[in-house]
Amino acid sequence: MTAKRASATSPTIWTVLKWTVAILAAVIAVFPVWWMINVVFSEPGQPVSINPRLWPTSLTAGLQTVHVIFAETAYLHAYMVSVCYSVLTIAGVLLFGSAAAFEFALFDFPGRRIIFGIVMLALMVPTAVTIIPTYLLTADLGWLNSMQGLVVPGLASAFGLFMLVQFMRAIPADMIEAARLDGASHLQIYWHVVLPLCRNAMVTLAILTFMQTWGNYMWPLLVGTSPDMYTVGQIVGMFNSPLSHQTVEVVMTANLLAAVPPLIFYLLFQRKIVEGIAMSGTKG
Amino acid sequence: MAFLEISSVSKSFGAVKVLDDITLEIERGEFVVFVGPSGCGKSTLLRMITGLDSPNSGTVSIEGKVMNDIEPAKRGTAMVFQSYALYPHMSAYDNVSFGLRMAHTAKTLIRQRVDAAAAILRLDKLLHRRPRELSGGQKQRVAIGRAIVREPRVFLFDEPLSNLDAELRVQMRAELIELHRRLDVTMIYVTHDQIEAMTMADRMVVLNAGRMQQVGRPLDLYDDPDNRFVAGFVGSPRMNFLAGEVVGADATSTRLLHAGGTGPLTLPIGGLQGQLKVEIGVRPDHLRILADGEDPPPAAIAFTGRVTFVEELGNVTYVHIVLDDGTPIVVGAGRGPRIGTDDVRITAPVGHALLFAQDGCRLRGRNGTGK
Amino acid sequence: MHLRRHLPHYLMIAPFMLLFAIFFLFPILSGFYYSFNDWNAVQPAKFVGLANYQKIIASRDFARSMWNLGTYIVITVPLGILVALGLALLVDNFTGRWAHVFRGAYFLPVVLPSFLAATIWRWIYAPNFGLLNMMLGWFGMPSVNFLNNTGSMIYCLIAVDVWASAGFNMIILLAGLKNIPTELYEAARLDGASKWQQIIHITIPMLGPVLFFVVTYGLISAMQVFDKPWLLTGSSFTTYGGRGNALLFPVMDMMGRGFGAVKFGEAAAYGFLLTLAIVMVTALMFVLRSWSDRR
Repeated sequence: MTAKRASATSPTIWTVLKWTVAILAAVIAVFPVWWMINVVFSEPGQPVSINPRLWPTSLTAGLQTVHVIFAETAYLHAYMVSVCYSVLTIAGVLLFGSAAAFEFALFDFPGRRIIFGIVMLALMVPTAVTIIPTYLLTADLGWLNSMQGLVVPGLASAFGLFMLVQFMRAIPADMIEAARLDGASHLQIYWHVVLPLCRNAMVTLAILTFMQTWGNYMWPLLVGTSPDMYTVGQIVGMFNSPLSHQTVEVVMTANLLAAVPPLIFYLLFQRKIVEGIAMSGTKG
Repeated sequence: MAFLEISSVSKSFGAVKVLDDITLEIERGEFVVFVGPSGCGKSTLLRMITGLDSPNSGTVSIEGKVMNDIEPAKRGTAMVFQSYALYPHMSAYDNVSFGLRMAHTAKTLIRQRVDAAAAILRLDKLLHRRPRELSGGQKQRVAIGRAIVREPRVFLFDEPLSNLDAELRVQMRAELIELHRRLDVTMIYVTHDQIEAMTMADRMVVLNAGRMQQVGRPLDLYDDPDNRFVAGFVGSPRMNFLAGEVVGADATSTRLLHAGGTGPLTLPIGGLQGQLKVEIGVRPDHLRILADGEDPPPAAIAFTGRVTFVEELGNVTYVHIVLDDGTPIVVGAGRGPRIGTDDVRITAPVGHALLFAQDGCRLRGRNGTGK
Repeated sequence: MHLRRHLPHYLMIAPFMLLFAIFFLFPILSGFYYSFNDWNAVQPAKFVGLANYQKIIASRDFARSMWNLGTYIVITVPLGILVALGLALLVDNFTGRWAHVFRGAYFLPVVLPSFLAATIWRWIYAPNFGLLNMMLGWFGMPSVNFLNNTGSMIYCLIAVDVWASAGFNMIILLAGLKNIPTELYEAARLDGASKWQQIIHITIPMLGPVLFFVVTYGLISAMQVFDKPWLLTGSSFTTYGGRGNALLFPVMDMMGRGFGAVKFGEAAAYGFLLTLAIVMVTALMFVLRSWSDRR
């Protein structure tokens, strides 16, 4: 009797607790982003005591700020630079990474194990040790303040190679042999059989690369020092610097604009992003 | 000169010798089955013919032309894989036409060939489907279709039916035989299943441990095996083997003692002077259990053993027997009275007994009376 | 013949391997060389032996940044993973749409560029306008300048860090949780184990390898922390680390020496010192794992 009552009430306590904690955690996770949006879409200059910015109050004010930022600052140009930087990096990482992964995962040739082993060791080397010499090399090449200086040094992504090799190893050898018997050349097997088979992995890698490039703050800070090479990250950093005299609405709008592309990607590809991260963690 | 010639082909992977000096001739239009236990080298031999592996020594030639240095796709061979190896991201149509598209064949010609193959294989309504929307048998037919459109000189099948269930396997076997009759091309088929080999082959090639054991028509191999391996491998249930010891031999006959027997037995196989230890092979169908009180026919093999269990399959009953020295024996019996687990006496006519030397070689005798 | 057969393979890996050699292997070697030289990128390099290393280790900034790093890691790694594990267990307890909604919410901060986490939170911490001070105001407390108070600065960073990274670890742990066969829980329930006992005796041990990855990866990235303290303190190459160097971290120190003071040899040496520390910590983790495996 008592046991029965205990089992009837304890689940409800557990359930209430579970929901409370879950919702509270969700509020903490989401609120800063929500607040950023609210600051943008509210009448500027209103004191916190009158408008605590718990929800958006003025759409027009926000659009006005966006307009001002695009019209009066180099934000739009930085957007272009960031988009170029991301798109070129994604294209390069996918192209070079998949071509190399194709060989490492599916074929055997002298030196394969050693070469692949060296690249995998690179996964463990921290960025800290390479960033300054890489910068100096880029400077020597005369690539400072250029798109190639931003993009090229980041193309040999050991992580991307690792992920694609893991994925391609699952392709049965029969499939490759069948294509060979069908008369497909080495390149045709890569292009018509293997690439379509790892479309999922390629999309995931593209998204992860995008998030990483778009969020990369350190490298553009070093390489793109002239205003016409500023990326979104740098512009946002400047809006936020102690020397900037921008109001909070303007700074938050700059922040929000930087967040929009990743947020859109997240809404569209949530499952792919989550799978990609889960895979890199549980297989690595 | 034969249509397809394999001469002195050997292959090793590291220290493991997978194929050891294989020489074989195959005629145009033949249906040849390579059969043997797993790891015997049969698949490797198939891959040599198609060019996916290359031999360490020896040559493969088709229509008189040595193929060793010719690209797999240019040999005029087509292969059906055990796993089918269909491209999962392409429709059945695209799978079948992939090779033609890679060769930049005209679109209308591709269409024609695919449609013709689809008609033969009854795939017409399935061509738009992806492999995952097809059943095992349908995938199998798409894989065959992919081979057909290339109009090869030789079809190669690598255990193509092993992923199908028993019923479908029998049905596909019949379809393949029908396909062979219809296309009238050379087909080489690899399997570990001797029943599949027996039912399909014009000629069977039995392989074991990288060596060719015997080549011939299925029934010839069944009746007249060259060695103990072939005798044991072909036929189900397997042939029984009794240890024997030669006690006397002359030009026309051999006298020997054997396990479970009571006295010396005389076999009409001559010229075995010098042999000592031998094995006698008798198929289960040729053995018979003696009724109580019945005497064995004169000059027949006769021995005694204990029944361990009885398999009653309806049309046939297999009685499993163990002899005093532990030798297992299977006797094929008709549908008779129930057999208990007592000692029984077994007999077989001497004409059906085969003799094998200790190294496994068949002892036919010098006068050819062994068969 | 031999080479010709393998040529296509080498051609396909060539672009990747060339880029890898030029922009990864070569910089490591050249960095190693620079680290023994006094060099400002203008005058020719001068060999100084271990002087760069000695100078760094003796410097007060190095001591301060290492102390900060130690404090930061000791709190942020365990706390971050504990929060992530809690979130993963929580999400795992929901099914269907709600599991999806909560997982999506907890992961949201990870999606933002890491520089944004710092720039948004800077305003939450801001003295007058900031959200946090607004909330303090509700309780009648005076406004605090969180990011200018040497006592609170590091905790502000840790809060941002946990907020921004918990979702990432949650996803990995969640994948690990999904890999635990349900039969184990069913068997434990038949044995009369409570929910809490199931977590202690089944979930945590079964998550072992995944937890190891999360902890090791968390340590390695925490030791290279840069964007967040840099932006929270509004740093530049000449002034960085915030008030009283309370948010000075090794990578910031390294960048300052390189691009602020233009001592590239010293900066390169700093990179190797940091790498050495990271390798040691990683090795320690592996030793700990094999030790606990054997036990």
